[in-house]
Amino acid sequence: MTLSTTDGGPGSATAAVISAKAGRRKPLRLGGRKLTFDFVSFLLVFLILPLAIFLIFVIGPFAQAVYYAMTDWTGFSPDMKFVALDNFVRLFKDPTFLRAMGNNIILAVIVPLVTLTIALIFASMITIGGPSGGQVRGLKGSSFYRIVSFFPYVIPAIVIGILWSMIYTPSGLLNGLLGLIGIDTNNFAWLGDENTAMGASIFVIVWGMVGFYMVLFIAAIKGVPAETYEAARLDGAGRFRTTVSITLPLIRDNVQTAYIYIGIMALDAFVYMAALNPVRNPSTVVMSQYLYSTAFEKFQFGLASAMGVVLAVITLLFAAVVFVVNWATGGRKDGGRA
Amino acid sequence: MELKEASISRRNLLRGAATAALLLPFGATLASCAAPGGGGGGGAGTGKVTADNPFGVAANSKVDAVIFDGGYGVDYVESAAKIMEANKKLGGVSVKVSSTQKIATELQPRFVGGNPPDLIDNSGANSIGWNTILSQLETLDDVLDSNNLEGTKISDTLFGGVKAPGTFDGKFVALNYVMTVYGIWYSSSLFEENGWTVPTSWQDLKALGEAAKAKGKYLFLWGQEAATSYQTMVVDSAVIQAGDDVRLPLENLDAKAWSHPAIQGILEILYDLIKSGYVKPGGAGTKFTEAQAQWSLKQEALLYPSGSWIENEMKKQTADNFKMKGFAELPLDGSQTTPKGTMRAEAGEPFIVPSNAKNPAGGKELLRTMLSKESATAFAKAKLAPTIVKDTVPADGFGSTALVSQSELLATAGDNVFTIKSFNLYGMNGDQLPIWNSFLEGKMTVADITAALQGLTDKIREDSSITKIEIK
Repeated sequence: MTLSTTDGGPGSATAAVISAKAGRRKPLRLGGRKLTFDFVSFLLVFLILPLAIFLIFVIGPFAQAVYYAMTDWTGFSPDMKFVALDNFVRLFKDPTFLRAMGNNIILAVIVPLVTLTIALIFASMITIGGPSGGQVRGLKGSSFYRIVSFFPYVIPAIVIGILWSMIYTPSGLLNGLLGLIGIDTNNFAWLGDENTAMGASIFVIVWGMVGFYMVLFIAAIKGVPAETYEAARLDGAGRFRTTVSITLPLIRDNVQTAYIYIGIMALDAFVYMAALNPVRNPSTVVMSQYLYSTAFEKFQFGLASAMGVVLAVITLLFAAVVFVVNWATGGRKDGGRA
Repeated sequence: MELKEASISRRNLLRGAATAALLLPFGATLASCAAPGGGGGGGAGTGKVTADNPFGVAANSKVDAVIFDGGYGVDYVESAAKIMEANKKLGGVSVKVSSTQKIATELQPRFVGGNPPDLIDNSGANSIGWNTILSQLETLDDVLDSNNLEGTKISDTLFGGVKAPGTFDGKFVALNYVMTVYGIWYSSSLFEENGWTVPTSWQDLKALGEAAKAKGKYLFLWGQEAATSYQTMVVDSAVIQAGDDVRLPLENLDAKAWSHPAIQGILEILYDLIKSGYVKPGGAGTKFTEAQAQWSLKQEALLYPSGSWIENEMKKQTADNFKMKGFAELPLDGSQTTPKGTMRAEAGEPFIVPSNAKNPAGGKELLRTMLSKESATAFAKAKLAPTIVKDTVPADGFGSTALVSQSELLATAGDNVFTIKSFNLYGMNGDQLPIWNSFLEGKMTVADITAALQGLTDKIREDSSITKIEIK
């Protein structure tokens, strides 16, 4: 562009005309395809635009966080020093962070397993667990159970957290109910005791999540042809056997997706844990809580970003483990749909 | 077959795009994010400095104030802003007061971008850490040197020690507006009914605990998020007992800070009180608001250590006959080395003026307006808390017994007031909370808690990435 303005001789003008003519004669090509207006606009709207949005709003912040993780940024000034991997070294020497990571791993192992097991049992009861004569159907009143067990999922997580922290409080509902049936808990602080706090918190998360995964599994089970269940029943399979040998293999993909979703939630768990355990006791502290306090109480944004990176890597690893387990336990026979 | 080929070539295209996706922002962010923003500052220009306009606020300029919306609300700044807008001597300024509960989160991008507001009330759980913004703040000595709207030099109208909590590294950068008295609060009516007397040292607490137990009550109780108010009580008491011997090592993160005999003696007594069952168990699983209501409404415990905000905080949850009064935190025994009446009283609600704000003179002028007698008296009346301006509370304390006892305590203490800054300065509270919950629950011995608190102190001292500020 600047070239043509500085060097405005007749020669350059002819060159431009020639190249333009050449362009008309030989259409531009990409991978053997003509670059027509339709094709280019299609690329622009359906590929370049979403990609640009993805780059700017998803990949960009990720890359930025990774960079910040290698600085000593305090969060309130434009100055920062590059410290390479120092933050990561510090993290893995920090007993509180390791404790938080351990707690997250406990959550990621227990919460999905318990939630999905219960959800699968409920879903089976509601869809195929009904009377063993006649058509394959769920328990009596199953639509009522389905709606009721979805209720907790409708309540925002923070409300669930506050609600249950009031139930668990020493003078709260739980101790009151236990007192009614003759168990004197002596005003036991369920969330205040290191032996019960984690279990009590896990119960709340499971309580809040079961309904959603149950509905997910119901939808999946409805996609299985009823004839399969009828055949199994004719062969004498009971409800447990049907669930384990028929339902589970046939909705394998849904279970895997559910496992990854809820696992990611358990690795975060911020809202539940912050509402139930505002004090970061070693027995319940999770990485996201520690991250928040490092950034917004201690103003070590570089270190906090490093925690975020570690959390992201653990999440990816978790997903990979779920894929591998699914594959190794027979998912590959399904034509590798996973 | 045809279909399959097409899908492969499309995949290749996507693959190429994905590679670009990974490489492009990386290069871009590495280049750009190292120095976000910059610029800004000095937008409004300055007006002429006169006696009525001591900071030279430009006529028709705008002032942008961001105020923490906590226990005191923001209306007191809004009414000061109205007074300032109506001040004809400034040639007309407009003031925008915005409120937030998340000071740090909300203002972070503005600080990084070089565009902070002109006045900030840096308060609340999400306030900005001092050591991170210290270098970006105006010193506020000229505000105290100027005359208030009534024509008196502002520094002559203030309580003693008001500069201390806002002074870091010798620079006075934060003007704390509200006077807070740290003490132990009780119902004087309940004490009178039972013939109990107010304790004068830690040695008296055991007998009082015994008396409380006889009435089916506890001496103390706590809530999980406020467990460190017991740390405040222990530390302040030790400073009252032994003065700077205790205070300075704690403030400057000394390796033996928590082993001082005064702290140890008080911890031993507190441990004994816990083991004797005078502290209500279960606090580690109780929300602090609920716990405080157990004290003020159900009167399950006699005493509660807190700052003077407690009256306002529990206003709606206080028993009818609860005549709230406070006494200063207690020395270990009769041999305190500080003058009698020494107590922790500090100005809270720190107001700051960032140097590269658009109109720092406007921020200071708004502060000057707030420090005038008219605004300060209006605050004390509405919030039942004294500001740092003296003589704004009448003898009847606007009908509040707690406010009267605050005024009495402040009058007795005079200039013998101190403050503890380091715990907030280094954001230690969150890490101290689990330790104190555990100690109050009786699961830690004195040796355990000393080691745990000292460990935290040592960790910060040895972390070279944390900027230390020497406290004198």
